[in-house]
Amino acid sequence: MNMVGVDIGGTFTDLVGVIDGKIVSSKTSTTPSDPSEGVAHSLQLAHCDLPGLGELLHGSTIAINTVLERKGAKTALVTTKGFRDVYAIGRGNRIEAFNLFFHRPKPLVARHLTFEADERLDPNGRALKALENAEVELLVKDVLASGVDSVAVCFLHSYANPAHERLIGDALRRAAPHLFVTLSHEILREFREYERTSTTVLNAYVGPRVRDYLSNLETWLRGEKFVGKMHLMRSNGGVMSALQARAQPVSMMESGPVAGMIAAGILCKQLGIDMAIGFDMGGTTAKSSLIMHGAPAVEEGYVIGPMASGQPMQLPVVDIVEVGTGGGSIAWVDATGGLHVGPQSAGADPGPACYGKGSNTPVITDADLVLGRINPKRFLNGGMSLDIEASRAAIKAKVGDPLKLSIEEAAIGIAAISDTAMSLSVRAVSVNKGVDPRETTMIAFGGAGPLHAVAIAREIFIPRVIIPKLPGAFSALGMLMASWRQDFVRTLVGRLGRLDHATVENIFRELAADAEAQLRLDGIPRASAKLIFNADLRYVGQEHALQIPVSDASMLTGDVSKVRELFHVEHDQRYGQAAAEEAMEIVNVRLVLTAPRADTVAERSMAQAWTPTDEAAETSRKVIFNDPLKPLDARILWRPALPAGFAFTGPAVVEEPNSTILIHPGDKVRVTEAGHLVIDVAFGGAQS
Amino acid sequence: MNEAQAHPITVEVVRNAIVAYADEMANALCKAAYNMMIYEVRDYCCGLIDLQGRMISQNRGGLPIFLADLGIAIEDGVRRWGLDGFAPGDVLIMNHGETCGQHLNNIVIYCPVFHEREIVAFTANRAHWVDIGGARIGFGSSATTEIFAEGIQLRSLKIYEAGKRNETLWQIINDNVRFPEASLGDLRAQIASCQLGARRYGELLARYGRATVEACIARVWDQADLAVRNVVEKIPDGVYSAESFLDNDGRDLEKTLRIKVTVKVSGSTMSIDFSEMNPQTNSPINSGRSGGIAAARVAFKALTSPDLDVNEGCFRSLEVILPEGTLVSARPPAALGLWSIALPTTIDTILKALAPALPDAIPAAHKGDMGGCSFYGVNAESQRFLLMNIFGGGWGGRPHEDGEDASVSVCQGDVRNSPVELQEIRYPFLVENHKLRENSGGVGKYRGGLGVELTYKTLVPCQVNINFERTKLPPWGLHGGGDGGANYAIIHFANGAESKRVLKGTQIPLQAGDRVAFFTAGGGGYGDPNERTPEAIETDLREGFVSTPDAAQ
Repeated sequence: MNMVGVDIGGTFTDLVGVIDGKIVSSKTSTTPSDPSEGVAHSLQLAHCDLPGLGELLHGSTIAINTVLERKGAKTALVTTKGFRDVYAIGRGNRIEAFNLFFHRPKPLVARHLTFEADERLDPNGRALKALENAEVELLVKDVLASGVDSVAVCFLHSYANPAHERLIGDALRRAAPHLFVTLSHEILREFREYERTSTTVLNAYVGPRVRDYLSNLETWLRGEKFVGKMHLMRSNGGVMSALQARAQPVSMMESGPVAGMIAAGILCKQLGIDMAIGFDMGGTTAKSSLIMHGAPAVEEGYVIGPMASGQPMQLPVVDIVEVGTGGGSIAWVDATGGLHVGPQSAGADPGPACYGKGSNTPVITDADLVLGRINPKRFLNGGMSLDIEASRAAIKAKVGDPLKLSIEEAAIGIAAISDTAMSLSVRAVSVNKGVDPRETTMIAFGGAGPLHAVAIAREIFIPRVIIPKLPGAFSALGMLMASWRQDFVRTLVGRLGRLDHATVENIFRELAADAEAQLRLDGIPRASAKLIFNADLRYVGQEHALQIPVSDASMLTGDVSKVRELFHVEHDQRYGQAAAEEAMEIVNVRLVLTAPRADTVAERSMAQAWTPTDEAAETSRKVIFNDPLKPLDARILWRPALPAGFAFTGPAVVEEPNSTILIHPGDKVRVTEAGHLVIDVAFGGAQS
Repeated sequence: MNEAQAHPITVEVVRNAIVAYADEMANALCKAAYNMMIYEVRDYCCGLIDLQGRMISQNRGGLPIFLADLGIAIEDGVRRWGLDGFAPGDVLIMNHGETCGQHLNNIVIYCPVFHEREIVAFTANRAHWVDIGGARIGFGSSATTEIFAEGIQLRSLKIYEAGKRNETLWQIINDNVRFPEASLGDLRAQIASCQLGARRYGELLARYGRATVEACIARVWDQADLAVRNVVEKIPDGVYSAESFLDNDGRDLEKTLRIKVTVKVSGSTMSIDFSEMNPQTNSPINSGRSGGIAAARVAFKALTSPDLDVNEGCFRSLEVILPEGTLVSARPPAALGLWSIALPTTIDTILKALAPALPDAIPAAHKGDMGGCSFYGVNAESQRFLLMNIFGGGWGGRPHEDGEDASVSVCQGDVRNSPVELQEIRYPFLVENHKLRENSGGVGKYRGGLGVELTYKTLVPCQVNINFERTKLPPWGLHGGGDGGANYAIIHFANGAESKRVLKGTQIPLQAGDRVAFFTAGGGGYGDPNERTPEAIETDLREGFVSTPDAAQ
C-alpha cells in the first residue's frame, strides 16, 4: 500500500512516504494560513499523487499552538455546586519557589462562564444529590445564553459514575448540535478533579478549531480524489482516525515529536535491542526518551507550556525529556564569567552567525563549524553555504574575549557545555526509571543529533550509538510505523487482597466493552486488536504508583503473589529498595488498546538490505576534538556511498544530505546490512 | 584552590552535575515516599555537603525554607564521631532539636562519600515524618511547653554501620512513632536517596579527580556570590526597619508576639538583624537558629538571586544577626513543634522594611501563614487516620500587576493542596466547597490576590487542629493599597449549637455531621486604589472577584 506521513511543524512541513515500495521525502516551508496548501506542496515535491494513496498520516501542531497562543474557542465550564473555582485554584503550588513575581496557570475559561450544577456524587458514584431535570434545563439555558462555542463538563467523582455528566451532555447536544461538548468521563475516567478539569477544558478549548481544520483538510483531500484513510498522530505514540481526533483533539497535543521515538523503538525491535535511549536533536531543543523492549515509555500526563504556568494535561504521552539545546541555541557569558548555552535560540532567522544573515551571536552550529565538524559546503545537502569567518568572529566577540579563551577553546567550550546539558538530560531519562545508561544503546537522529550523539554517549558511558538510515527525517518516517492506539482508565481504589472480585471483574468488562465500541467506531476488526491491562499499584501510604501489567481481574483478586512480586521488582529497580512484607493497594486500572498497521512497508524498508546510492571519493580534513592546539586528521566519508559491511575507526566525519555524524578518535564504526551505522564508543580514547 | 584546575568548561560541567545529582536524590525520595508531607507538600530537601558542612548543591523544587541548612546536622555528626569515625556503608539519622532548631518530625539522613578510601563529602536529606511520637499526634499541637513532649530525639546516630542495619535503633523508632509503616517507609526512601547521591558524586570524583571537582565547586560558589553582590550593590545603602506581630503563642491568646527586623545595606553586603524580635515563648511556636537564618535567607534570595541554584555562595554577602533566646533562635528546652509558623510573617516583614528602597521589586504582603489543617480519629474500619491539607491564599499586589490568588506561602514552593476527590476516597469527610474567597483581596492600583474557602463535613467523630495566624494583623497593603481579608475558621455544629469562630485550637472535638469552614487570607493591595483602571474594576465585578463597586475601589 502507498502511504505518506506529513508532519506540519512550526517552521517546516516534512513528508516521508513509501510509494511502490520506495521511500520518498520532501521538506517545505509551513504555510500557517492554509496548512492544506503545505500538504499539497509537499506531496507535489515528493511526486505523490493523492488518488493512489492508501493512507495519509498527519501530525500537526494546531492543537498545542491553539493553547500556547490562547486562540481557542470561547468556552464554558459546568462544575459541581460549590466547586466553581477548582479550575482556577488548581493545586496552589509555586514551582519557582523564590520568585515573588511568579505566575500560576491562567484558566482558559473565564469565571463568569463557569456554571455550577446542583448535584453531588460520592467516591463510589452514589448520588448524594441527584441532578434534576429542571436543573439541567436551567443550565442549558444559561450556557446557551452565554454565547459560547464550546462547553466542558466536569463533575466531582464523575469517574465513578458518569450519569450526571451524560444528562447535561445529552441535553446540551440536543439543544445545540453545533456546540462542541466535552464531558470529562469521555476523556479521562480518573480521579483528581483539577487535572481532569484541566484536561477536559483543554479539549473543549481546542475542539472547534481542530474540528474546522480537519474538515477543511478532508474536504480538500476529497476534492483531490483521495479515497484512502487519514490518521492523526497523537501524544501517546499511536494514531487515531479523524473521527476520533474531532472528539478528542486534546490527545494530539504532542503530535509531532513522539513519532521519531516510535521509529527508534521499532528499530530496536528489529535489531534485538532491549534497552535504548532515543535521542533527537533539532534546531531549538534536544529530546530524549527511554525505549524498553521496543517501545518508548509512556507517562500519564504532562504540562502544556512552561512548567510553572502551563496547563496540566493528564492523558498518556510518550515520555520525552526536553532540554533547550539545539543547533541554534545561543552561547552567552553572564556577568560573573559563567558560560552558558541556550535556552534562547537564534531560530531560522537570523539563525546562526554562519548563515551570513548578519547575526553576530554564536550558536552551537557555529562552534561545530569552527571545530571543523561540519562541512560548510555540504550543509542542507549543499543547499546553503556557511560563512566560517562569521562564526569565528561571533565566538571571539561573545565568548572568547570575555573569558580570555582562544576561538577554538571557546568553541570546544560551547560544544562541551551543550553536550553536558544534553547528557544530564539523557541520563535523567534512564536513571529516573532505574536504568543504568551503561546498559543501553543510543539511537540518535534529528538534524543535529548524529553530530553530538557520541560525545554525549562518552559522558555517560553509553557503549554503543546507532545512527539509523534517514536520521534527518526520522520523525516523519516514524508516523508510517505507528499503531492505532486508544487508552482507557478507571479509578479503583482498594487494598490488594481485599478487593471484591465482582467489582474488579466488572471494571475489566466495562473497559473491554469501551474498547470494542471504539474499534467498531473506527472500523477495526476485533481480531487484529490487542488489549493490555495495567494496574496502578503502590504500597499502602504511598502516593506515586507504578504500572504493573495484569492479564485479568483474577490477578488482582485471587492469588496476588505474582502481581506483588512484579511490583517489588519494579520498585526496587526504580527507587533502589522494596518492602516485601508490606500491604499494597490499587489506584487505577488502565487499558491500552492497539491495532497494528495492516501494512508494514515502512518497517520493512528500514530493515531492507542497503546498497549505496551515490559515489564519492573519501577526503580528509582537520577536525578539533578535545585539544584546540592539536586538530586531528579525520576521514571524511559520504554516507550514501558507503556499502554494507564497511568498517572504519575514528576520527572521522560521515556526511549525508540532511545530517552529519561525528566519530571520535578510537570509535569503531560499521555499516550494517540494512545500512544503519553502528558506533562502538571507545572510552578513555586517545584524547578523552 | 588552584585556579588552573577550575577550567571554565569543567566548572560548567560540575555546576550542572552537582545539581542534577541532588535532583535525582529528590526524585527517588519523593516518588517512594509514604506521606503527603513529602509527596505533596514536598517538605524535604536533598543535597551534597562538604566536610565543613557547607552546601555544595541542593535540589530544586523542595521547601524554600530549607535553604542550605543541612550542614548543621552534619557538623554535629563530625564533632561526635570525628572524620575518621565514618566508614563506607554508614548511614546516620538526626533530628536533635537543639542542633537542628526545627520540629522533631524533620528527620535528617546522611551518608559519608568516600573517594580513594578517603572521606570527601556527605550526601544528606531532610524529610518531614508524619509522626515522631510524643504527647500529640502528628504535629501542629500548640499544647507542648518543652521539646521532650514532642517526640523521640535522635542525635547523629548510625542507623546503618558499615552497611549493617542497627536493629536496636530501628526497633526503638518502630515502637515510638504512631504510624511506623509510613515513617519507616519514608526512612527507607531517604536512605536509598542518600546512597544514590553518594554513588553519583563518587562517579564525578572518579572522572575529574577530587582537586579539580572541589576547585570547580569553589568557583561556582564565587560566581553565585558575585552575582548576588551585583544585585545588593544596586540597593541604596541605609538602615531599614519594619515591625509586625503575630496573634499569640497559642497558649496565651491575648498577648501578641513582636516581629521586628532591621536591615542594613552597605555596598555589596546586607545584614538582617533579629535582635528586637519577641523573646522565645513557653509554647511550641519557637524555632532554633535555623528558623531565623531560613527567614533571612528566603527574603535575601528572593531579592537577589531567585533564579540561581542554591549553594553556599548565594549567602556569603548576607550577615544574620541573631542573638540567642528569640522567637527564631530559641534556647533548649524550648518546644519547637510549630517552628515554621513565624517565618512567613518574618519574611514579609523583611521585605516591608526594604519596600521604600525597592518600590519596584517588592509586592504587598501575602497571606502570611503556613495555612494547613489536620483532622484525626478512627474511621469506620477502626483504623486510625490523619487527614492533612495545605491551603493557599492571596499574594500581595505587585508593582505592575495584581497578586496571584490561592497560592501557598513564601515558605512553601512546589507544595500542592490535596485533591477533594482523593480526600473523600481516603477519609471519612465530605468536602462541601472549595472556592475563591470573594472580596478578600486588598484594594489598590493592583489588587491583592484572593484567598480560599474550603468546608469539611466530618462523617465520623474526630478531632481537628486549627492553626490560623495573622488574624489580628491582616496582610498589609503597600504604597496606599489596602489590607487583605484575614484568616479565620468557623465550626458549625450538627446538634444545633451556635457556630464558633476559631483561630487556633488543638484537638477540638467534632461529632459526625459537624462542619469546619476555613477562610484563608487575601493579599494586600499595591498602590492607590483610585488609580485602578476602569477595565480592571469591570473585570473584577464581571468575574465576581469583587462583589460590589464599593469594594472594587
